[in-house]
Amino acid sequence: MVFLKINNLKVYYPIRGGFFRRVVDHVKAVDDISFELKQGETYGLVGESGCGKTTTGRSIIGLTKSTAGEIIFEDKDLTKLSRKDYHNYRRDIQMIFQDPYSSLNPRKRVLDIVAEPLRNFEKLTIAEERQKVQFYIEKVGLSPEDVYKYPHEFSGGQRQRIGIARALTLNPKLIIADEPVSALDVSVQAQVLNFMQDIQKEFNLTYLFISHDLGIIQHMCDRIGIMYRGQFVEEGAAEDIYTNPQHIYTKRLISAIPDINPKNRDKQVEFRKKVNEEYKNSYDKYFNAEGKVYKLKQISNTHSVALP
Amino acid sequence: MKAEIVQTNNNFNIKKSKSSGAFSVMWREILKDKLALASLFILGLLLITVYGATLFINQDKLVTVDLLSIYSPPSADHLLGTDYGGRDILGQLLIGAKNSFTIGFFITLIAGIIGLTVGITAGYFGGKVDNFMMRIVDFVMILPSLMLIIVFVTIAPKYNVYTFIFIMSIFLWTGKARLIRSKTLAERELDYVNASKTLGTPDWKIIIREVLPNLSSIIIVNLTLNLAGNIGIESGLTYLGFGLPETTPSLGTLVSYATNPDILQNKWWIWLPASFLILVMMLCINFIGQALRRAADARQRLG
Repeated sequence: MVFLKINNLKVYYPIRGGFFRRVVDHVKAVDDISFELKQGETYGLVGESGCGKTTTGRSIIGLTKSTAGEIIFEDKDLTKLSRKDYHNYRRDIQMIFQDPYSSLNPRKRVLDIVAEPLRNFEKLTIAEERQKVQFYIEKVGLSPEDVYKYPHEFSGGQRQRIGIARALTLNPKLIIADEPVSALDVSVQAQVLNFMQDIQKEFNLTYLFISHDLGIIQHMCDRIGIMYRGQFVEEGAAEDIYTNPQHIYTKRLISAIPDINPKNRDKQVEFRKKVNEEYKNSYDKYFNAEGKVYKLKQISNTHSVALP
Repeated sequence: MKAEIVQTNNNFNIKKSKSSGAFSVMWREILKDKLALASLFILGLLLITVYGATLFINQDKLVTVDLLSIYSPPSADHLLGTDYGGRDILGQLLIGAKNSFTIGFFITLIAGIIGLTVGITAGYFGGKVDNFMMRIVDFVMILPSLMLIIVFVTIAPKYNVYTFIFIMSIFLWTGKARLIRSKTLAERELDYVNASKTLGTPDWKIIIREVLPNLSSIIIVNLTLNLAGNIGIESGLTYLGFGLPETTPSLGTLVSYATNPDILQNKWWIWLPASFLILVMMLCINFIGQALRRAADARQRLG
């Protein structure tokens, strides 16, 4: 059975102009991408800002309508389901939001925030509901008495963990994590990421991990897809991408990861110069006339690259 | 295990955390602002007196003409004198204040409810719904409302407090609808609304439980400041002769007697108390409204 398979997903936004606000052109936020997730793995979507990685995540969970393509989750195409049928899949796919400050309603207590999905899908008594909420709140490392507090009484990292607890309450199979740590400072980042890995094992979760930080992706992900202007540049196991990058865009990204060891500094500078040289000399080999990349081509069992 | 959890919970309930609800913030702000606190006190006292006293006044007897005491100055019989029909001014003042305030209050309430419903629906759903609703709002806005109200007043067969509230509410909801719509447009882009959608919460529940509480402060402030304005509109229209009939006293009726120069100059007891009462009520409501407005904006808060 296919867990999650994205086929030729496209999300276009119309640009209107001229008389009667006709559609003149489209912004191709996501332009024909396909990938697959296996249950229990962590798939990383990487790319510069505006490359369409968040839009991909949001269209999988249904916040953004896709223009074309299929999102097949457990052998059902989510894009073709009616509102009512889609409701049944809601609880299997959940999302962790980027900004822990705006993603929690400031007027609600933690108890009401975390219990919101339970109230929509399960009929529990007040005591059962509170017990369940406190169970998850403890799982994310907060104390059970915190459920009576308001979000503004917590720090950013604690708020993000409340967001994670909220996503966990329905026992989802897939969690879309949209830059879950980019709004947190580095010491808290590690704490949240390690915690996410722990609960992945415990609840057998599958993550679609969206980030622009290659270091975090390397730490978290089994497989990686690299996006550029709405398309995939390179896709493969984390090892393939980090040790054997084929596309010049991937190479440039990887050369930009800082190395903390001062002894390697000269080597790093040399490496960057080399990659930059290659980028200047062989731009036409990797990008077409529009500045977009070519279609993906498989070069090994686990590794595909966009080359002509 | 279960007993333990219940036990600990009881302890948490006793320890109350500092609430950040809209009402407690507003209350703190009013307590800090002595002018607003005094205004609230005066307004409360005024309203209790007016609504309490009118319970004991027979309106039919009050508006009966008494030819023996026309234009009598303040005395023990008539504390604030009488008007050209020998009718007691104090009684008219109390009933008038009650009518004016009731009208202002219900116009604000009804216009507020219509405006809120239209504005929040248009803002939340956006797109075609928004376009359609806002065109209706635009249409109502460009109507010359004052003229239509005057026409309605002249042709309405049975004209009293309720019809007046109705006709005023029809035209006054548009401003609120636009304000609420703009705030909702900003609010629905926040991630907590998206989060609620991904958690399977239906739209109507998101509107009422998530978006509305976050707009509550701005709504309360706007309604309070509008209340003063609406009392003014009622008094103004009555003054011009298009408000309530003379059998239903209002503050505007009393002030309009002052169009007669003789009354304006020599018989102050007819128009001065009503004018003063309007001034005090407006000022009080506005001071309270100012304090509430500051409470709605964290940067301006005193408390």
